[in-house]
Amino acid sequence: MLPRVLLCGEIKYVQDESKEMFHGIAELVHLVSESRSHFLSSFGPGGPYEGTVALYRLNKSSELIGKFDGPLIHALADKSMVRWIAQNSSGYDEIDVQACKERGKFLSQNQLFLTCMFVPGILVSNTPGANDDATASAALYLMLSCLRHFSMAERSLRSGTWKTPYNAAQTHDATGRTLGILGLGCIGLRFAHFAHAFPMRIIYFSRTKAESVPDWCEYVSSIEELCKQADILSLHVPLNQSTAGMVGEKEIRTLRRGSVLLNTSRGRIVDQEAMIRALEDGHLSSVGLDVYPDEPRVDPRLLTFPRCTLLPHIGGESAESYRRRELQALGNVKAFVLGGVGEDIVPELRTEIGKSTTL
Amino acid sequence: MSSRQPRILICGNLVWAHEDARQLFDGLADIVVMDSPNRPDFLAGLKTGGRYHGIVGIYRHNTSADHIGVFDEEIIDALAETGTVQWIAHNGAGYDQIDVLRCAKKGISVSNTPGAVDDATATTALYLVISCLRNYAWAEQSLRQGTFKSVLNPGRAHDVTGRTLGILGLGGIGLRLAHLVHAFPMRVVYYSRNKSANAPEWCEYIDSLEGLCRESDVLSVHVPLRNETVHLVGEKEIRTMKKGSIIVNTARGKVIDEEAMIRALADGHLSSVGLDVYPNEPFINPRLLEFPQNVLLPHMGTENQDSQRHMEVRALTNLRDFLRDGQGNDLIPELRSRL
Repeated sequence: MLPRVLLCGEIKYVQDESKEMFHGIAELVHLVSESRSHFLSSFGPGGPYEGTVALYRLNKSSELIGKFDGPLIHALADKSMVRWIAQNSSGYDEIDVQACKERGKFLSQNQLFLTCMFVPGILVSNTPGANDDATASAALYLMLSCLRHFSMAERSLRSGTWKTPYNAAQTHDATGRTLGILGLGCIGLRFAHFAHAFPMRIIYFSRTKAESVPDWCEYVSSIEELCKQADILSLHVPLNQSTAGMVGEKEIRTLRRGSVLLNTSRGRIVDQEAMIRALEDGHLSSVGLDVYPDEPRVDPRLLTFPRCTLLPHIGGESAESYRRRELQALGNVKAFVLGGVGEDIVPELRTEIGKSTTL
Repeated sequence: MSSRQPRILICGNLVWAHEDARQLFDGLADIVVMDSPNRPDFLAGLKTGGRYHGIVGIYRHNTSADHIGVFDEEIIDALAETGTVQWIAHNGAGYDQIDVLRCAKKGISVSNTPGAVDDATATTALYLVISCLRNYAWAEQSLRQGTFKSVLNPGRAHDVTGRTLGILGLGGIGLRLAHLVHAFPMRVVYYSRNKSANAPEWCEYIDSLEGLCRESDVLSVHVPLRNETVHLVGEKEIRTMKKGSIIVNTARGKVIDEEAMIRALADGHLSSVGLDVYPNEPFINPRLLEFPQNVLLPHMGTENQDSQRHMEVRALTNLRDFLRDGQGNDLIPELRSRL
């Protein structure tokens, strides 16, 4: 019997390719659970997911079985043979990777005399890169819309008031303005590249000064300095314990009055209350958002600020990026099934692989 | 009234450049503001004894048409009759509101403000290109109506990178748009009456409008409105485009045959259109609103604080240069050959 791969989320664009990819290698099974308890109890003998060694996961599956938090990860490790989760997206904040790490240590303690069988818990891969272009384009779109109040103007047209609420005096071109990028990873750098075409002045802050970065990307040494100098602040850090709420009251008030805030990363990086206060008193002239703390819920107060541009977390979505992500995630699963390890292991778990190979 | 300085007329909004105007014309001309509520009053003011009598040049903005109408034959003739008006410095790249042929006949020069609008208009076009390819306008409508992304089909959204942008008219604005999309990159092809000497090598020239339509995933219109460009993009051109294509127009509404465009939206031949201009502004054909994937802006192409000021200063400078040196820089193409 072939090992099984469970699809927690449907494959939409590469169905034919996926059949070809796994032919003779693994059997693809579909998520039939509508609750977490059903999910966790289905990996045993006779269950629909018996023999599953890896999961392909979309965030949408949390609507049925919940997020992959600590309890789910522990249960999965106990009750199944699943040792690889291939997340389809670059963000993997819905998976408790610390819990995945812990499982490895726990098992290794039990396997003291079988060190050659060190099992590094459950490994998690994501799909970095696949969305970079699409997400960076979304950031560009949000920036132009906020600077020029395009979104507001469209809504005015569609409601029959042509451009009446629009005041050109309060809008600006991008050229010559300063774009501050928080986190100069692949997406931040790609967005910087688009902005440089105008040109805009590009400044950035990252945990570490990025190595191979064009000389027109100016490093600043703190988030405060970034906020002091930026006309537009764009967020490109992943969501984790150290970045949650990273942009709060202090950072927002350090931005100059009339600044624009863009977020295409994760809603919880920003303190939403602080952001809304700043919109209410005009300190922020507008925000351009593709992400929210509690999707798909959008705080209704955001809808009351006419100059904001609000997208429903689709920035990274195009037919092409969808295909790329599906193929990339499935490729990671396939490599694991064939060889015990796949690509794109998330940074937090990469050291675990290091440990296993030294034994 | 006695004044040794010539007089110039500010005919339409001057929002930012009051101080610039004072400085530009200091010691050169007196500034008179056109405040007529209607055309008869304006025409009366031009006559001997009227308050606009003796003006030698005019700064003109399209907003003046709200009160006195466009600069058609009647107004041009009245200006010529003063015997003093010699220069109209128009604020705007498009000058279809001025009967320039009549001006040529009557010996009145006209300048516009090319270049000053390039960045702002190209940025508007870029916004429309991205929004149409990615269905962002639709997505925001969906969010604001409470359905988040549930009504959207991501298969209808496409990457910008790698797609082909066809530029109809590679003037200042078209070239600036080409530059901005080259950052992705999009493949850039263009058609102009003449092959452009300034075009970078990655702008591929196509020698027919039909050829341009065939190659483009997104067709962006950047030709001025003239008799020969009315409905330049019509049924034939639209049907030559690939199924699922997109048209973006930041030039003038009448360059596109609107009925043909709407038919193509209705049967899906065009997947969406991104428009900043319409044949009969501010009237919008309600059928355009029936397609949630359309991106529709209320003619904002050039308007923002930065570009508005640039344009005002540029137009005023053309007028100043005429007064001081006999010639403004931005004499419109139609009148250049007559010098």
